[in-house]
Amino acid sequence: MNKIATIAGLTWKAAFRYRLFWILCVLLAAAVAGLPLLLKDDGTAQGMVSILLTYTLSATATLLGFATLWLSCGTLARDVEECQVQMVAVKPIARWQIWLGKWLGLLSLNAALLALAGASIFIMLQWRASRLSPEQQKILREDIFVSRASAKEPMPNLGPYVDDIMKHEVKDPSAMDPGDLLEKRRQIVERLIAYKTVLPSGRARMWAIDLHNLKDRLRDKRLQLRIKFHTASNRGESEFPTYWKVGPTNSTRQAEMTESFPADSFQEFSLPNNLLDDQGRLWIEVGNPNSMDLTFPLEDGIELLYPESTFGINFIRGLAVIFCWLALLASIGLAAASFLSFPVAAFVSLAVLAIGLSSGTVATVVEQGTITGFDAAKSGYGHSVVDYVFVPFFRATLKILNLVQDFSPIDSLSSGRSITWGQLGLAVAQIIFLLSGFFCVMGIILFTRRELATAQGNN
Amino acid sequence: MSAVAESPSAQAVPKDGKTIVSVRGLTKIFKDFWGRPKAKAVDNVDFEVRQGEVFGLLGPNGSGKSTTVKMLLGLLYPTSGHIEVFGHSPRHVPSKAHIGYLPEESYLYRFLDSHETLDFFGNLFDLPPAKRKERNEQLLEMVGLSAVRTRVVGEFSKGMQRRIGLAQALINDPDLVILDEPTAGLDPIGCREVKDLILALARRGKTVILSSHLLADVEDVCDRVVIYYGGRIHAQGPLRELLAKPDSVRITMPAIGRENMQKVLDLIRHDVAADKVQIDNPTQNLESYFLEVVRKAKEAMSETSGATSGSRVAAYLRGDAEAAPAGDQLLKRLTVATAPKPAESAPIAAPEPKIDQTKLASLAKPVETPAPAATTAPAPAPADLSQANEKLSSLLGKPDGK
Repeated sequence: MNKIATIAGLTWKAAFRYRLFWILCVLLAAAVAGLPLLLKDDGTAQGMVSILLTYTLSATATLLGFATLWLSCGTLARDVEECQVQMVAVKPIARWQIWLGKWLGLLSLNAALLALAGASIFIMLQWRASRLSPEQQKILREDIFVSRASAKEPMPNLGPYVDDIMKHEVKDPSAMDPGDLLEKRRQIVERLIAYKTVLPSGRARMWAIDLHNLKDRLRDKRLQLRIKFHTASNRGESEFPTYWKVGPTNSTRQAEMTESFPADSFQEFSLPNNLLDDQGRLWIEVGNPNSMDLTFPLEDGIELLYPESTFGINFIRGLAVIFCWLALLASIGLAAASFLSFPVAAFVSLAVLAIGLSSGTVATVVEQGTITGFDAAKSGYGHSVVDYVFVPFFRATLKILNLVQDFSPIDSLSSGRSITWGQLGLAVAQIIFLLSGFFCVMGIILFTRRELATAQGNN
Repeated sequence: MSAVAESPSAQAVPKDGKTIVSVRGLTKIFKDFWGRPKAKAVDNVDFEVRQGEVFGLLGPNGSGKSTTVKMLLGLLYPTSGHIEVFGHSPRHVPSKAHIGYLPEESYLYRFLDSHETLDFFGNLFDLPPAKRKERNEQLLEMVGLSAVRTRVVGEFSKGMQRRIGLAQALINDPDLVILDEPTAGLDPIGCREVKDLILALARRGKTVILSSHLLADVEDVCDRVVIYYGGRIHAQGPLRELLAKPDSVRITMPAIGRENMQKVLDLIRHDVAADKVQIDNPTQNLESYFLEVVRKAKEAMSETSGATSGSRVAAYLRGDAEAAPAGDQLLKRLTVATAPKPAESAPIAAPEPKIDQTKLASLAKPVETPAPAATTAPAPAPADLSQANEKLSSLLGKPDGK
């Protein structure tokens, strides 16, 4: 362990001697302090927090992310190119210890910089909050400077329903082309989803959220609904009235509300206390008095937000998830530098990052089942031989990317959503142990097999 | 480092110890991106290095010396053949605790200062902090960098970088020291100090592998050598055996009168043809002369912004073999090593001109030039270094001037 710590310490020394640490501190300070000064909020508590957290945390993560990639490629590849690693490798230290020492050095450096940036953001947030009006400060304390977990109706298992409908509508499956069968099944799924998500004009629908495990904890606690719906209207910013009945059905405790919201954006509103029924369920009935249908998406159409922890703890957990991302970037950079020269390793690492950032495109390809795009002549999506290679590849890539992108600490923090210990544990398991672990093992194997004296020193 | 010259033959440790390095059929072929052979750097090389030996890898640039060294250290992998260092593969990590390595260039971290550099490498050997500190002090003193310990290595001159590189190679008191061109970039004083250090290590039973194309360095310190050319070994064996000319004899003595000299010559001519006899004044070599001049200059003044002349060999490196003060050591050697050694009396010179009678007359006169420096007295070999160089150069071909 002493040897690994010695190598890690070398990264720290290099960061200070080459003034990298201080330069990053200055850039982070500019991002944390300077950016919010340039960007004006709308004067509300929500606007201020949103701007501060979203921009500063995004800037911090981006800055540290690129610095980590660059440093991780440089610290190993340049050591090999300038032959310093020869001096280390002939000492009684295993190659894996050198590699791990470099990785841990980068991680500890990132941890320190992230902690500094996080502390600065937190202090800045408190300072800016103190300048808001008393009413806004109250909102801040109750709605935003909190850590709220969410609960929603469980995703329905559509499989059995789809099978039943298929049996009913397709009498002789062997008479149909396999491709058509798949399309038929897809249509039934879409129809069922529409049934579950669309609230037709002039109708009402009931949602039930099961909170029996939290029934006692949520007594007298402030609960909120977070909703989002889509409409076919193109009236821009206009709002749509909705009727809400929340609480035990046929009970005096049931609360009735009329709320108007714009479409296509998340909206939150508070509920009266103690609306759960005896079994710990929250019943929500929504009426649509509009002339057009409203669509509440399955995944985030209606969610219940409840207090889970303090903002400070949540903030630390959010930073920890960002740290997991940085650890992954460090392992990618070091793995590339284990067998490539510095410029090539940097290019490969940035390419991997670019693929990661273009997960939307990858998801679209997987969803459409083709990379050829929309064929206007056929009014559909074309298919080619290339798809047989790329679509499975993109599907696998998306699965890997989702291991990282399942977590959105910046969004959660800026909306006061809780990042639970469970989510943090999952992030550590998926991002650090699984993905970083994979890159670490690959990097160590490549570095151990590499001949270190083929490079000519250029210092 | 103590500037005391000593011939290799004076080393105390027997050279028939156990095998430290064993190389059998070693071949290294560098390949291009597509795996096609690009260059055969080492071609079927065999040799062994035994404990306590100063072993020289000699050859012109590009002959395969450094490649061999890097394979011994596990930095390059052989294409074929077998290497054992301390009975293990060169990649065996625990064995590396007994090895010190000085590469041909300074490959040190440029942002670390001298003290941090030694501390860093000491840490890799798991040396306890107290021992690390003690050795750091001694090594910095030894290589003459105590005064610049807080300057980063990147600011050092090439010679200073060699010195700190040498110090790091010795931080673990290694049993096997591998030195690749150790005197490259050093001034003559530094060169002498390095050679003295090598001899001091050998006296303690340490094994030294010296890779160099500087023939004088190799000749001064090595017991055995292998001579590389084009990746192959073209000659190997004890240096004395390689250089000796057993059919010639050289006698060195104080100048005598013309008549007595004539008598001696007559006696010799009785058995040897006149054109086979060569007579001249022995001269000290340039290194000895330079060291004497610098010694006198140091006595007169002493302030320099660079490395100072090194102090004595670090105490932990001297061990028992040099426990007594340097002066005592010198006296001991001067009094003990009086018996003439066959190798030292063997002439090495190649050209053998006819006797010049005029020169003979001048030689017979009493000598008025100042005597050579006392410290060089027991080392007759350097007088013929140039000739030895010529001989080896003709064998190796001309170095390309690296």
